[in-house]
Amino acid sequence: MSRRQLVHLIGITVLSIAGLIATFAAGNEPLLGLDLQGGVEVRYQATEETTTESLDQAVEIIRSRVDSLGVAEPEISRVDEGILVQLPGVKDTDRALELVGATAELEFRPVVQRFNPEATLADAGIDDPVEFYDEAIASSQAAEVSTTLAPDTTVAEGAEEFPSTSVPGTTIPPTTTTILETDEEKIEFVENLFGIGQAPSLTDLEDDDGTTNVIMAEFDDEGNETARYELGPVGLKGEGLTDANAVLQGVEWVVAPEFKAGDEGINAFNAIATACFNRDPTCSVGAVAMALDGRVISAPQVNAAEFGRDQITISGGPFSEQEAKDLAVALRFGALPVELEPEQQRVVSGSLGDDALNAGMIAGLIGLALVAVYVIWYYRVLGMVAIASLLISGALLWTIISWLGTTQGLALTLAGITGLIVSIGVSVDSNIVYFEHVKEDMRNGRTLGSSVERAFPIAFSTIVKADVASLIAAVLLYALTSGAVRGFAFYLGLATILDLVATYFFMGPAVKWLARHFADKPQSFGVGALAASAAAGESA
Amino acid sequence: MSTIGDIFKGTNNIDFPKMWRPAAIASLTLIFLSVGAFFVQGLNLGIDFEGGTSFEVVSPGTSVSEARDFLSGLGAADSKIQIVDGDTLRIRSDIEDPVRAGEIRNELAALGDVTGFESVGPTWGEEITQKATRALLFFFLAIAVYISARLEWRMAVGALVAVIHDLIISVGIYSIFQFEVTPATVIAFLTIMGYSLYDTIVVYDKVHEVTARVGATGKYTYTEMMNLALNRVIMRSLNTTVTSVLPVLSMLIIGAFILGAVTLQEFAIALLVGLIVGGYSSLFVASSIVAWLKEKEPRHSEIRDKLEAKGLTEGTRTVDNDDAVLGTTPRRGAGAKRTDTALKDRPISADEGPDASDTDAKPVSKAKTEKSKTEKSKTESPKSDKSDKSDKAESSKAAPAASGSEPGGSIPPRPRKKKKR
Repeated sequence: MSRRQLVHLIGITVLSIAGLIATFAAGNEPLLGLDLQGGVEVRYQATEETTTESLDQAVEIIRSRVDSLGVAEPEISRVDEGILVQLPGVKDTDRALELVGATAELEFRPVVQRFNPEATLADAGIDDPVEFYDEAIASSQAAEVSTTLAPDTTVAEGAEEFPSTSVPGTTIPPTTTTILETDEEKIEFVENLFGIGQAPSLTDLEDDDGTTNVIMAEFDDEGNETARYELGPVGLKGEGLTDANAVLQGVEWVVAPEFKAGDEGINAFNAIATACFNRDPTCSVGAVAMALDGRVISAPQVNAAEFGRDQITISGGPFSEQEAKDLAVALRFGALPVELEPEQQRVVSGSLGDDALNAGMIAGLIGLALVAVYVIWYYRVLGMVAIASLLISGALLWTIISWLGTTQGLALTLAGITGLIVSIGVSVDSNIVYFEHVKEDMRNGRTLGSSVERAFPIAFSTIVKADVASLIAAVLLYALTSGAVRGFAFYLGLATILDLVATYFFMGPAVKWLARHFADKPQSFGVGALAASAAAGESA
Repeated sequence: MSTIGDIFKGTNNIDFPKMWRPAAIASLTLIFLSVGAFFVQGLNLGIDFEGGTSFEVVSPGTSVSEARDFLSGLGAADSKIQIVDGDTLRIRSDIEDPVRAGEIRNELAALGDVTGFESVGPTWGEEITQKATRALLFFFLAIAVYISARLEWRMAVGALVAVIHDLIISVGIYSIFQFEVTPATVIAFLTIMGYSLYDTIVVYDKVHEVTARVGATGKYTYTEMMNLALNRVIMRSLNTTVTSVLPVLSMLIIGAFILGAVTLQEFAIALLVGLIVGGYSSLFVASSIVAWLKEKEPRHSEIRDKLEAKGLTEGTRTVDNDDAVLGTTPRRGAGAKRTDTALKDRPISADEGPDASDTDAKPVSKAKTEKSKTEKSKTESPKSDKSDKSDKAESSKAAPAASGSEPGGSIPPRPRKKKKR
């Protein structure tokens, strides 16, 4: 056993103890699932008569929105004329409402003004805005002002975020565009175009009833603000959409939304589009923003006054495949087919009942104790290593589950616990594979010390082979499923990784360390009989 | 000498191939029953999949288990029961028939005012099932590729057959006994799938290791080598099954029967059966399929033909300990370079023995039979370089266990003494 292995051994032990201490200090604890501990429920009632199909559809949408990490395992079901949403362990009912309320509708609003508080014209690559304006006008032909004025055609570093969602080929029809005279006007126009200038503070969402202008921001994946907009009143809500898909158009990813026919669909959208296309004061930037949960998710430029219901494509500058898909999902999921109103929120108990939970806990502990007794009886000192290794991975597991339960709403259901119990069997197996290899080598006449050194890489390679199969299962199931299956995949993957960690950093070094100290007492390793039979074999 | 005692000491010599046929019959019977039950009576899907009826009864002080006892009198013990706002029981039953639901509603009045009575939809939507099915298909594909790459494609076939075998039987239990399928049950099936696959790969890795080694002697059929591998790995399989089953068994006995938590009962039974079947299928289903496929390979069928000509294919012969153990010490300097002439040139003497004994190796092998000796010199391992990488890596430091005791057969290298730190 090398110094490095000793470092591993001590390191992993310290790490798991530190993890436990941190967990207790921070007050983190696993979030028990709905079946075990109960939680909070909100009942939503449809505001108007609706069909079973659209309620079922709404259930799917709400499930995707509520279950952000995919492992909270909410229970969402259709009830008469409404939807019942149950969330695990949420003691704070406001938070529950907020979570479910986050299924708020998608809004289409005209962009009155675009601000980019960080950027300057120089960032946008414009040294002289007056000259820029004059050139743009001069180079334009009679029909339309050159697309040079479209922000994304001249985007420079620092200002690349907002134009990335604009549609190339912005058109300013000559009929509505007066050629500006003064330098101030020209500068202001260009600044406006690129969103340069001081941005006002964001509107408090509670003050927004959809009928007045608001200030909203757009954020990137890391939650950094990338642009700020003044938006007009809501022109259309998500229910005006029937579908939205990311499609590959030529070599570029675009999002193709489909609107309902009529006044509550495409007509309402076209009303905004026309205003924007004509650069009305209500939409002087010429872009329409899609806002979800008080955030702008996209604000593309409008390049026509009228659109067909299913003829619209939103192109980025350009979108990556992921961006296009994310936007399509947001458009679809924002589009609840029925209007729902929260009606009642109540606290619910676990459906398994306290008796079952207690029985399960006691049974689990007894089961663990039996496993401990068995491996120690069979493998003696090695058995103790196996138990210690189990404790190490258990401590790490507890730390991670508690942390994710507290911060991310990762729920631990009966099914999750069962998966973990079986993963105990698999973790113990990593030990058994190794120990059996050691014994086989000793049977073949090696000493304890040499067997222990030699068997580890072989046994570990077996363990890795088998664990990788489990990891493939975990990754695929997590990526491709939702609901309880996803939760299972998460726990399977977590337990498998911890098994590998505990085996490599703890169990291997620990056995080697013990082998040095018990070299003359192989019977402590449960291999006394072997030593005896080997001796007998020699004398025979 | 009992077999169990032998297994404990590692001196077991079970004839697995002899058990493959009865095992196959048993497996096929179980599969037939499972599939039959599935088509005849289907699965008893719970409210989470099908929806049902929800009742609300204002009944302060009634616990979930008391309510369950009451409901089991009405034949609805598998309802989902929650206490809402501390004083109201919400009972969700998979009963869809409005007449029956109305009857239950009337009965429930005995517990208190029935304030709610409505139909509910499933919480486990079609979409979850569709996604999970698609994910499983991708998973099977990915696993087939993975096992083919790490081990070989025949093992991929065997592993998938074994996993599907286990899943069919586990689902079959639910169909035969009409246990109610809940989301937790689906998770139990997935758990069984993961466990079965894991277990099979561990067994296969042993088979791979053993056949790479013993195969180099060219003296045994694949089935015989497989048998050796299974004998080597059975203790591990038994121990692992025991440690996996113990917590589940404890949940079943203590949780379900003694403490009366009925909900856990069916769940634990399914898991228990699945784990045991998972362990069984690795040793009997997965291995027999690979052996069957491998015997068709020219390399192995030629060996079988040769042995057949000598009348050696009656039953399963045991791999000689020497052949089994020698493999752990592939010849130094990559066997491929050595010829039989080179072999003969080497002095063969018992003097090589002491080397082994003054390193940390103890000879344990017995004298070999005349037959295997002659064969071995004929087929001296030109293939040994094919053996596992790990073997090669180990070859320099490994002490040959059986050296010295073997005057007639192949010559093990003089072991280099291994320095211990």
